[in-house]
Amino acid sequence: MYDYEWDRLRVWLEQYGAIPESVTKKEELTRLDLSKNNLKELPQEIGILSNLVVLNLANNKLTKLPESFAKLKALSNLDLRRNTFENIPESLFSLELRSLNLSSNRLDSLAFLEHFKELRVIDLSHNNIEKVDLSLEPNNQLRTLNLSHNFLRDIAALFESVPHLERLVLSTNFLQSIPESIGCMRALEELDISDNHLTSIDPVFFTLNIERLVLSGNQFGELKLEGLELLESLSLDENPLKYLEIKENFAPYLQEFSCDSCELDSLVLPPSIYLRSLCYASNHIKELPAEIEHYAVLQELDLEANEIVSLPDTLANMNSLHTLYIKDNPLNQDAKKVIEVLDPQICDIRMKTGVEIQKATSEDLEAMAKLLAVLFAIESDFEIDEQKQYMGIKRLYEDERSDLLVAKHEGKVVGMVTMQRLISSAEGDNVGQIEDLVVEEGYRKMGIGSRLINRMRSLAHQHGYKRIQLAADIHNDNALAFYTRRGFRKTHLNVYHYKVQEN
Amino acid sequence: MEVCECGEKSVAQAIEVFENSSLPFKKSKKLVTECNKSCCRGALLKIHDMSLYGRYDYEEIAFVIEQRQERLKRLNEGNE
Repeated sequence: MYDYEWDRLRVWLEQYGAIPESVTKKEELTRLDLSKNNLKELPQEIGILSNLVVLNLANNKLTKLPESFAKLKALSNLDLRRNTFENIPESLFSLELRSLNLSSNRLDSLAFLEHFKELRVIDLSHNNIEKVDLSLEPNNQLRTLNLSHNFLRDIAALFESVPHLERLVLSTNFLQSIPESIGCMRALEELDISDNHLTSIDPVFFTLNIERLVLSGNQFGELKLEGLELLESLSLDENPLKYLEIKENFAPYLQEFSCDSCELDSLVLPPSIYLRSLCYASNHIKELPAEIEHYAVLQELDLEANEIVSLPDTLANMNSLHTLYIKDNPLNQDAKKVIEVLDPQICDIRMKTGVEIQKATSEDLEAMAKLLAVLFAIESDFEIDEQKQYMGIKRLYEDERSDLLVAKHEGKVVGMVTMQRLISSAEGDNVGQIEDLVVEEGYRKMGIGSRLINRMRSLAHQHGYKRIQLAADIHNDNALAFYTRRGFRKTHLNVYHYKVQEN
Repeated sequence: MEVCECGEKSVAQAIEVFENSSLPFKKSKKLVTECNKSCCRGALLKIHDMSLYGRYDYEEIAFVIEQRQERLKRLNEGNE
């Protein structure tokens, strides 16, 4: 029997490019992306998609949903971010949604949550919610709740309704205190309550099992830290903190601690021996205690913009410390010697300023060819031949399908990267092939490679490339780690060469 | 459109700063704001994240800036 409803829906979906040609039956449709289409309403026929599990309706102009939505019984993950809902459509109440994104709408109430008994994750950030008006059954499934960027002033009533919550984001509201009722949140692992107006925390808070805590951008003038036995990361940045006390029982497994841009005049060391990152940048600190050496696994120390004159000799013995930010301090010569002996991989006082990323010009080609010799010295598959490299770079420069970027310092080329346009049969469109990323030795560990790659990514977007790809020498561990950190994923393909012999 | 009053920077200038820096967000943010305050952190964090992928959603940036202005308005109303 001919299915007219499916036929009409299919035609409607096709106009938004939301349905692959391979899908012929409505039962085959389990995921649907209708985001960024300026939709004001959806067709009633959408309710026939009985196997639909994931539906993305973000970035539209929806204010309501058709009643047939109630028939989408398999729907588990719904994205309604950046629409204009003032109320939640009742057609959603009978669904067993697990994840719901309602960020950037016009909701002013939480009361609708009681209808979603299976919900695990909900994002309600960037709405108009002013008060906590929900009452959920205590055994509800909610584990992640984002209420950031609302207008909440009091959250005392929130915690009893969501005692099993594991992740809670309350940043950028108008909160003034962390109330006693938070004591029931025994499962809470991550709490972000930054950019509020907090001045006080109830003592029961320090008995919780939180692992990651963000208290940045509040109004704490003084703070006494204790307990929080499982805490691994704490940020207190941008508080007008003049007094900080850390008790011996505070966070024995702490790995990251940051007090950036406070008003402290002395550095207080947390007791955890597992600390990997410590930041006291932009304070009024005059001295780094010699006890800093007790942090045997400390990797990153940020003391930028303080009033430190001397450094303890013990700093030079910290073998794990690979990153040191210390500029804008009145360091004496002895302190500079300590840094010289420490020799961290990344150190801001050694970084060169004024390195610019720009498109290569014809005057840069010779320097680029020379720079390639540095790269080919590492890559065993290639031979250094400056003349060949110059010819290759020159051809790339003249080819309209190529992009060439250079990093320049005081007019000298100190880094480069190239990208060529290829046609991918897999993507059915253009892709970018990145090659020749190299930075001169004296300019490494300053982020120049990252800037070259970021700029190339930007060009790839401008050209409409579907993908960018590259090959890296399997023995070049630094390069492999670099690309992985920047979001490139290793493929299962190997690269083969066949040298075509000259006659 | 202005994103940071302290540093008197527009969205375009903030993008330029982030594109020309590979410092972590906390540090490159200070290059934009030239201060230690957190007023425009939300909008700057969005721009910074977008700069890593070279793809800017100006509608979303405008939305975050406007919402911050609305927040300041409501805060002033609450204090009156």
